[in-house]
Amino acid sequence: MARPMEDQMRDRVLYRLTWLALALSLGHHLDHLLRGNAVGWPVTDEVNAFTASLVVYPIIATGLLLYHAGRVGPGFWALVSGGGAAFVAAVHFGPAAVEPPELILDHYDPPILGWLAFGWLVVFVAVLAITCVYETRLWAAQRQTRRATRPATDAEAGR
Amino acid sequence: MTATTPPPAAGGRPAVGPRPAVPATAGGAGDAALLVATRVGLWLGVQLGLAGLLLLIGEAASGGQALNQAAGWWMVYAALVDLGTLGVISWLLGREGGSYRDLLGPPTAAWAVAVGALAVLAASVPAVVFSGELTSAVYGQGAIAPMFAIVELPPWASVVSVAVVPLLAELAEPVAYLGVVLPRLERRLGRPWLAAAIVVAVWAAEHACFPLLASGGGLDWEFAAYRVGSVLPYLAIWTSLYYALGRRLLPIMAARWVFNAGTALALALGLVQ
Repeated sequence: MARPMEDQMRDRVLYRLTWLALALSLGHHLDHLLRGNAVGWPVTDEVNAFTASLVVYPIIATGLLLYHAGRVGPGFWALVSGGGAAFVAAVHFGPAAVEPPELILDHYDPPILGWLAFGWLVVFVAVLAITCVYETRLWAAQRQTRRATRPATDAEAGR
Repeated sequence: MTATTPPPAAGGRPAVGPRPAVPATAGGAGDAALLVATRVGLWLGVQLGLAGLLLLIGEAASGGQALNQAAGWWMVYAALVDLGTLGVISWLLGREGGSYRDLLGPPTAAWAVAVGALAVLAASVPAVVFSGELTSAVYGQGAIAPMFAIVELPPWASVVSVAVVPLLAELAEPVAYLGVVLPRLERRLGRPWLAAAIVVAVWAAEHACFPLLASGGGLDWEFAAYRVGSVLPYLAIWTSLYYALGRRLLPIMAARWVFNAGTALALALGLVQ
């Protein structure tokens, strides 16, 4: 059965947001490599937050395959986006940030490049957070729809 | 009702709903321009009028001094701008039909507004950090943003700035830009992303008008630019969240109220040093 237009449109938005977050993530990792002051394995021998953050790429690749196959829904993406936003914000913005904004702002010459990289990071975290809100709303709407159709189906089956 | 429309939640109101289309509005882009012009005009008019009054009664020796003295009260006379905004919104609603509630988006359960507001606060963290870093870069490490540093109010005015002004601001400002201006621009331009970008830019530019500060015999343009830059990420995030929340304004209004009332309270209690 063909899916409603609205569902297809939401899918498109979700895919676009995922690809946007992926591009922003790649750009932020490139910023790490350019600065060279907060990198870990596989660039150096140290295993640190940089190394841990690379796990996001297999998660996104697997998620895209599973979402395409209909095995996971917006709830999965809400957790990925929300988890990503929390992780990146904690690493860069939190009170115990291991890589505070100064590590980005003060390591570029000319300084405008530092502001560009910092602005990129701000946009990255904001996009992850906004995406998480959007996916959570879709998830909640899906659950409500499912709950609403279930009793009706049960009642019909019991006739 | 579409296939994906959720059922009513407790109280007969859906907690979350489908993504609504652009709200039907009878007005055009001219109404949007009128609303923005009213706000900007009121900001400039009130501040220049107050500065003129200070000069007239001899409380200030120069125009610049008068402007800076008037700026100390911006968190109070903001109420006049918001009351004027609400007046124009009421006039537009009266002319076109429709209610103020319609401008706030689809019905939303109280718990969903609370959860949404928490999400808006969390999503605003990058803007808080960016704004803080910009303040440090422009005014030095640990500096207070000038618009807060200049606020000097007697106790009664502090009470007004905490209890009345933030509430009026939420009833007027986001409703004007996201509830009235944005849908009109979307219909006019046919491209939501372009309409949203214009709204964010204009909304940010309005912040250059308050407070007006003088420096070196003229307007402090560096401060005006800083003001626009520091508020831009907040407005971009809130406008994006407006879409992400299915055009629901109440969670954004609630979160903004927490920000603005919290800041006013901290200033009134002298916690911002």
